[in-house]
Amino acid sequence: MLSIRFHGRGGQGAKTASRIVGTAAFLEGFTAQDSPIYGAERRGAPVAAFTRIAKKPIRERGLIARPDLVVVADASLIGDPSARVLDGVDERTVLFVNSPLTPDQLRARTSVSGRLTVLDLTDLALKQFGKRGAISALLGAVAGRLAGLRPESIREAIVRELTDLGLTAPVIERNQALAMQCFEAVQPVTLEPGPRAPVPSAQLRTPTYDPPTRGTAGITAGPNSAIRSVSGWRTFRPVLRPDLCNGCWLCFASCPEGAITIKPDGKPAVYYPHCKGCLDCVEVCPTDAMTVEREPEGANK
Amino acid sequence: MTWEPHIFKDLHQIPREEHVFPGTPLCAGCGGLESLRLASKVLGSNVVYVNAAGCFTNLAAFPFTPLDASWLYTTMGSAPAGAQGVRDALDVLIAKGRLPKEEDVKVVVLGGDGSTYDMALSSTSGAITRKLDFYYFCYDNEAYGNTGVQLSPATPYGARTATSPCAVRHPAGTMQEKKDIFEIWRAHKPPYIATVSPRYPLDLEEKFARAAQYSGPKLFLAFAACPTGWLFDPAYTPDVAKLAVECGIWPLKEAINGEVVHTYLPKRQPVEHYLKLQGRFRHLFEPTVQTDAIAHIQERVNTYWRDVT
Repeated sequence: MLSIRFHGRGGQGAKTASRIVGTAAFLEGFTAQDSPIYGAERRGAPVAAFTRIAKKPIRERGLIARPDLVVVADASLIGDPSARVLDGVDERTVLFVNSPLTPDQLRARTSVSGRLTVLDLTDLALKQFGKRGAISALLGAVAGRLAGLRPESIREAIVRELTDLGLTAPVIERNQALAMQCFEAVQPVTLEPGPRAPVPSAQLRTPTYDPPTRGTAGITAGPNSAIRSVSGWRTFRPVLRPDLCNGCWLCFASCPEGAITIKPDGKPAVYYPHCKGCLDCVEVCPTDAMTVEREPEGANK
Repeated sequence: MTWEPHIFKDLHQIPREEHVFPGTPLCAGCGGLESLRLASKVLGSNVVYVNAAGCFTNLAAFPFTPLDASWLYTTMGSAPAGAQGVRDALDVLIAKGRLPKEEDVKVVVLGGDGSTYDMALSSTSGAITRKLDFYYFCYDNEAYGNTGVQLSPATPYGARTATSPCAVRHPAGTMQEKKDIFEIWRAHKPPYIATVSPRYPLDLEEKFARAAQYSGPKLFLAFAACPTGWLFDPAYTPDVAKLAVECGIWPLKEAINGEVVHTYLPKRQPVEHYLKLQGRFRHLFEPTVQTDAIAHIQERVNTYWRDVT
């Protein structure tokens, strides 16, 4: 049995990619199983999806703890402990990362080791479609290539899954064409499925509680959410060009997060650890002083 | 009669101090959070938020909170009842002299459209009837958003949701019309009701400031453009919010003691401009244009504004 785990950010298409691979395998006569992890459906938040492919009926259920292949749609997830990208990854696991960096650069900057394949899908999609959006078809094609599936079945699976999402024929064709380009661009590898060392069970600790009369958790704390950084959510960031800014404060009023503050000179400033990269400020700016830049890898996280 | 703001006439009057802080796990580009942040700038920090389950459940994920005010979490159907309890407790403490009157706080219910239009409607109705002195803030994203965008009574005709897909038997998606909660509230005769949109921040701030002078139920419907549920890029949240108002779909109005005044009279662009931005209406344009459905939506808007003077 081949176990594939997808990691992405909500809206990138990790879930659909897992479905594409599952459907493609099914079309080739395999037994396939795909499921996303359930959570509140939020954009930008880490999500995971799982595909299992086998010749025999699959009895295993649930999360994949020991993946043969891990597909990472956003390199910033590697450093995010809540995403748990590297859980259960050993020297036999093949890792694919969507990143503009080379494998060596990525190894140097993150804790990734082992068998690593890299391709900049975001850049390909930007060049082809001219806007940011889901890269589910591309992720599916790459995963299919690494899993050893045939291009015809992946093409067909993309049509089926994207039609299900309500996309139109021309959009699906463009996705298909680019997906095939990615399929060709990735070198096939030999996956080494088979039994793995079981995941050691976590050490359980019994927490100690004080009686409620003595005190409970500090629920009277002030606004402490601001100590958390949401930088990892961004794939693009707004950048202010102060020379073009007319100081209208529209971006300050429109930022849902409150990540834009007003400096003493009356001009706005983006505080990046609080910016989720929704780019509302870019859209409302009347003088185009807010510009968009692609998020540099591993910076400011 | 044209409506004039008394206090907020310039964007630079928007208070710089924040009361809803960053770092929440809510979606990037959340229109509801945008409204709440603006509203909180007027409400201040002496507030108890009574939060019905919904997307805003994610606001305060223990041990983190973005609020410098208190937060009480209730089921979807009982936030106004929770508000009654908090208000009563405060009143009793003040009456007994155990809480100085200056330390009194505002009670604000936060509810999504699932609570407001559906599950908590009876609880809200009771609270208004009892003339409970509270604010009700509804972030209306026209679906049960947090559970994966299912149909709610706030979902408008023609929108596609997880439980009202476009199918052969109903190609337009949602068949029902959006429930007119504003008029349902108004029939209860509360002192203040208003609709707001975060893309009109001065209008929003003005309304919250104005409501403060009324004692009793003060109800707000906030337009919450939802990139996740309505299927558009988060960058377009402001455009969707603006076009909803400019196309006449989301009228900005207030009702003081039942008397309705429209606070902004849009030139009323064709509704297509609004619909085309969102994936939930894409089936009305592709692969074939559903002229009847679009005309129906336009007709509803026209009918609404025909009676507005």
